[in-house]
Amino acid sequence: MEEKKNIGKLLLGEWNTKTIVAVAVGAALFGVLMCYGGIPVFTNTSLTTAMLVPVIVGGLFGPLPAFVAAGVGNVIADLIGGWGMWFDWSIGNAVMAFCVGLLPVYGANIKEGVFEVKHMVIYAICCILGNVISFGVITPIFTVIFYGGDLEVTFIQAFAATLGNFAVLVVVGIPVLKVLANRYKSRSNLAQEHSDNY
Amino acid sequence: MNNRFLINFTPGSTMMHKLTGGTKVLLFVLFTIAIIATFDVRVIAVLSILPIAAIISMKPNYKPIRFMIGFMVLVVGIIGSLMLLLVSPNAGLTNVGGSTVIWRLGENFFVTKETLWYIFAMFVKRLASFMVVIAFVLATTPSEFASGLAFLHVPYKVCTIVSLAYRTIPDIARRYTDIKNSMQMRGVELSKKASLGKRLKATAALLVPLVVSSFGKVEVIANAMDLRGFGRLKKRTWYSEHELTKADKVLRKLCILFTIGIVAYIVWFRVINPWPVTYWSPFIAREDIVKVGRFETLSILKWFGK
Repeated sequence: MEEKKNIGKLLLGEWNTKTIVAVAVGAALFGVLMCYGGIPVFTNTSLTTAMLVPVIVGGLFGPLPAFVAAGVGNVIADLIGGWGMWFDWSIGNAVMAFCVGLLPVYGANIKEGVFEVKHMVIYAICCILGNVISFGVITPIFTVIFYGGDLEVTFIQAFAATLGNFAVLVVVGIPVLKVLANRYKSRSNLAQEHSDNY
Repeated sequence: MNNRFLINFTPGSTMMHKLTGGTKVLLFVLFTIAIIATFDVRVIAVLSILPIAAIISMKPNYKPIRFMIGFMVLVVGIIGSLMLLLVSPNAGLTNVGGSTVIWRLGENFFVTKETLWYIFAMFVKRLASFMVVIAFVLATTPSEFASGLAFLHVPYKVCTIVSLAYRTIPDIARRYTDIKNSMQMRGVELSKKASLGKRLKATAALLVPLVVSSFGKVEVIANAMDLRGFGRLKKRTWYSEHELTKADKVLRKLCILFTIGIVAYIVWFRVINPWPVTYWSPFIAREDIVKVGRFETLSILKWFGK
């Protein structure tokens, strides 16, 4: 019973003021990066660096904050990007961020500097599963319900998005998490009151 | 980059601006649901009259709006349609219910009247929902947005997230341009002249300071909010929520009627008596519609079938 309660708590994250501000900043960053932070690979295809935001927010605060940050962030990206509203993709991205942000649930505690090879492997698997579930199942369902979109085009876009996201999440995400974990580790031998004030 | 932002931070003076946040959010939600619920171009056309009138009545700066709509026509309209025509030229069969070839070029590439109508109708639908968004964004400041969400009983912590995120965008965008300019001044090549590997590295060099400085501010903002007692009580009042104007009262009553209308429409036209295929079209009578399952035409499934 104790174990279960803990998982529920980890899934929800701790909603104090710091989490709220971090989620808000993460959402804004997600929006801006989605519009301007793409790395052009070919014409019209880019690796979106916005995917780093759920990694960081998820690593530090848990899956639900990552979910909210990516969902709100994608709506903001649609607002400033000017390609129209794509609520179906926003929901897909939010679900994917939830899966990516599961880090604290399987024991990778970035805030205390715990991020080992075992966690990296689970993280990579979570990224694949999250992408497949969100873009292979959830986005197509909502595309059909909301806009009556064509499934084949959606699947092709989803496939491209999955490959791109996975590349960013693993190639850039793991080093970023490692760096963050090391930063927090070097601080963690200090007493709480000294480390948090400055 | 700055004139691309539609987001409005100062309260305006027209009637739409003076509505309370609650009414604006309510109208936005209702219109979005209505446009998502209908697949009939006639209904969408009627529905989009009010948002367009609202946009005109606010006398906005038309430059970013024109840019956005142009961009949307390019990305969704032209590139999206070409992709659809290339990938599944027979999409009109599943979604509109017919296949009248008007131009054929080989076995796998042809243009049907229904597919063209399907592309047009889907584009109208997306454009209409975008109009609603533009009207809403032009009329609403971040704090009004938050108070409006609170009016719809969204937990106030979520409201704060939305308004804070909304408010932080220009800061982050400015920081991004600053960092990019200073990087380029130091000789970091970010344009297409450099090779892919170099560009990846350069983007990483640009992202690290942006992410670090953005998240570095979190603690400062959070401390400032804590000092002012944020999150101590279960409820919150909103500075920007004011007394209802006359237009508010009228619009809120209309909102009730509108909600009833949407529910009736969904129940009658989507559940009890639905159109046999997704999109209505003017040139196919109801009796002539060919009904094809959505999964029967998927080429991906055909590969698995064999």
